[in-house]
Amino acid sequence: MSDTKARGETILSVRNLKTYFDTEYSLVKAVDDISFDLARGEALGIVGESGSGKSVTNLSLLRLVPTPPGKIAGGQILFRGRDLLQGGEEDMRLVRGGAISMIFQDPMTSLNPLLRISFQIAEALRLHHGLGKQEAKAKAVELLKAIGIPDAERRADDYPHQFSGGMRQRVMIAMAISCSPEILIADEPTTALDVTIQAQILELVKGLSDENTMSVIMITHDLGVVAGLCDSVCVMYAGRIVERAGCDELFRDPKHPYTRGLLDSIPRIDSAGRHRLYSIPGAPPNLAGLPAGCAFRPRCDRAMPICEREYPPEVALAGEDGAPRSVCCWLHAAGHSARSEA
Amino acid sequence: MNDPRALLEVRNLKVHFPVEKGIVFRRRVGWLKAVDDISFSVAKGEALGLVGESGCGKSTTAMAVAQLQRATSGQVLFEGRDLAALSPRELLDARRNFQIVFQDPYSSLDPRMKAGDIIAEPMRIYAARGGLAMSEKEIGAKVTSLMDKVGLLPSFAGRYPHEFSGGQRQRIGIARALALSPKLVIADEPVSALDVSIQSQILNLLKDLQDEFDLTFLFIAHNLAVVEYFCSRIVVMYLGTIAEVAESAALYERPLHPYTRALLSAVPIPDPPKERLRRRIILKGDVPSPTAERAGCPFRERCSEAMARCAIESPKPVEAEPGHLVACFLYAGKEG
Repeated sequence: MSDTKARGETILSVRNLKTYFDTEYSLVKAVDDISFDLARGEALGIVGESGSGKSVTNLSLLRLVPTPPGKIAGGQILFRGRDLLQGGEEDMRLVRGGAISMIFQDPMTSLNPLLRISFQIAEALRLHHGLGKQEAKAKAVELLKAIGIPDAERRADDYPHQFSGGMRQRVMIAMAISCSPEILIADEPTTALDVTIQAQILELVKGLSDENTMSVIMITHDLGVVAGLCDSVCVMYAGRIVERAGCDELFRDPKHPYTRGLLDSIPRIDSAGRHRLYSIPGAPPNLAGLPAGCAFRPRCDRAMPICEREYPPEVALAGEDGAPRSVCCWLHAAGHSARSEA
Repeated sequence: MNDPRALLEVRNLKVHFPVEKGIVFRRRVGWLKAVDDISFSVAKGEALGLVGESGCGKSTTAMAVAQLQRATSGQVLFEGRDLAALSPRELLDARRNFQIVFQDPYSSLDPRMKAGDIIAEPMRIYAARGGLAMSEKEIGAKVTSLMDKVGLLPSFAGRYPHEFSGGQRQRIGIARALALSPKLVIADEPVSALDVSIQSQILNLLKDLQDEFDLTFLFIAHNLAVVEYFCSRIVVMYLGTIAEVAESAALYERPLHPYTRALLSAVPIPDPPKERLRRRIILKGDVPSPTAERAGCPFRERCSEAMARCAIESPKPVEAEPGHLVACFLYAGKEG
């Protein structure tokens, strides 16, 4: 995977994206000036805890942020060179579910309970590919077979409540890949599922991305899921990307104190011995009242005076496996106590 | 099976729920066997983990142990006394010694009570009944010390639950469970609703409290890594039955039951090179419905090693290695 695959052309480029929410009391900067590139065939993980802005980033990509109270306050989302934020709603509808599609977290609430499974999968095909009713249904059955629903011909006419959680998430995937998208955005696709079902779903997504040169953006809080699937990773904290790296490198040598803390605080089944878990003190911050300077400072064990005054610049580092590598932390900013690292 | 060191002993516990149909004339059409004949014991001072996927009966087991769910049959012995045989008064007295920490820190705290009152409530209830000789002043002092112990500022006692974060609320829930100095704490998915960075705070807190107060834990979770970290012994459940019981190191090093092996292989490890090399056992299909009438091993349809015998009789747990029980015919020969 990550160490063998050459980096393809950039297919999606997010530049300085800002998504803000106007609340009664203050302006919440859910996503605050983030940029990243996605290459063709790449699986990019976006990792963060609740409130880090990972899901809002996601929704912004397809302009699904509820407006008001939310609004995209600035930036560009360049898909094949065209800015998705410029077109009208009609243009956007042609992209959604077509060239870029999405799998949501909760398979229980993302399907319409009143419509048959086959109809819901066929809907995108009829809209984007102009297929007739019969053709679309035949394709829907084919897709259900492809994602491993047993007895697909008969089950296609079932309603969502007749499917289990794992099967519903498969249906969501079938809908998402029905129009052979170039980018699949998966927002915590396995969080609501049991581990054995999670393994099935991840295997399915991995298989699809390997054979179709489809790019995947995987939004998750689970670093284990990222380790098994992604080529590169962005770590988000309080609305910003604090670290980005190739997957192997990030796990081998995390640079940001938050990333390091996160990696040290997850219990893992392969850890020999029973040493005490590290825990990051405090809790993720409230975005409505972020402190000045680095948002992670109050929880950071390596905070310095400057962290309190100024947000750290994004420092580019030499990446080993082709993916861009950078970190937003004063510890790594040139000329500033970089020596103390050693 | 009568272990003198056991603080809690569960014998042949069954919890079956009737499945009914009809609007006017309700009739029973079957049984949902949430927990079907399980036995285990928890020794004093140990942390026993109950793991399994959704619907395996782990939470129902916890509720039956806590006497919040009536068992269909079987016994729950706490310090040798059958809890189901106690009168309501006796049960209330016994309850002091086993308390629960719930999964959801949002819905398990009364939003209209202040944090200090939530923690004080169990003590006030027992003090009013005469079971606990504590004055209101002493209760206040205990609340302060409990809040301090669980890592909350005692000055927050006057705040309402919505003013706390998820992790802090779980700390309130833990302080409430410890208020009566119980011997056994039943923790039902205490960290699954929390963020990753908060999970380890709470797990470490529970460990510290276990050492300090000499607590015994019945710890229910679906996250195998969490259970391995916290528990010394683990019970793996599948479809209302016990698949395997072992010391936690033995279970992770030598899982015997085909289900445990698949379950462990499905847990992602946050280490990309290791992940690429792992051979993952992908189980086919889903857990069968617990309402279906069925014979044989509950896991056989998804098992790659199923034999003819598995469809006919259901395997009973046998001791494949010292202290390592497994309910699978692959190991039945070893019984002798």
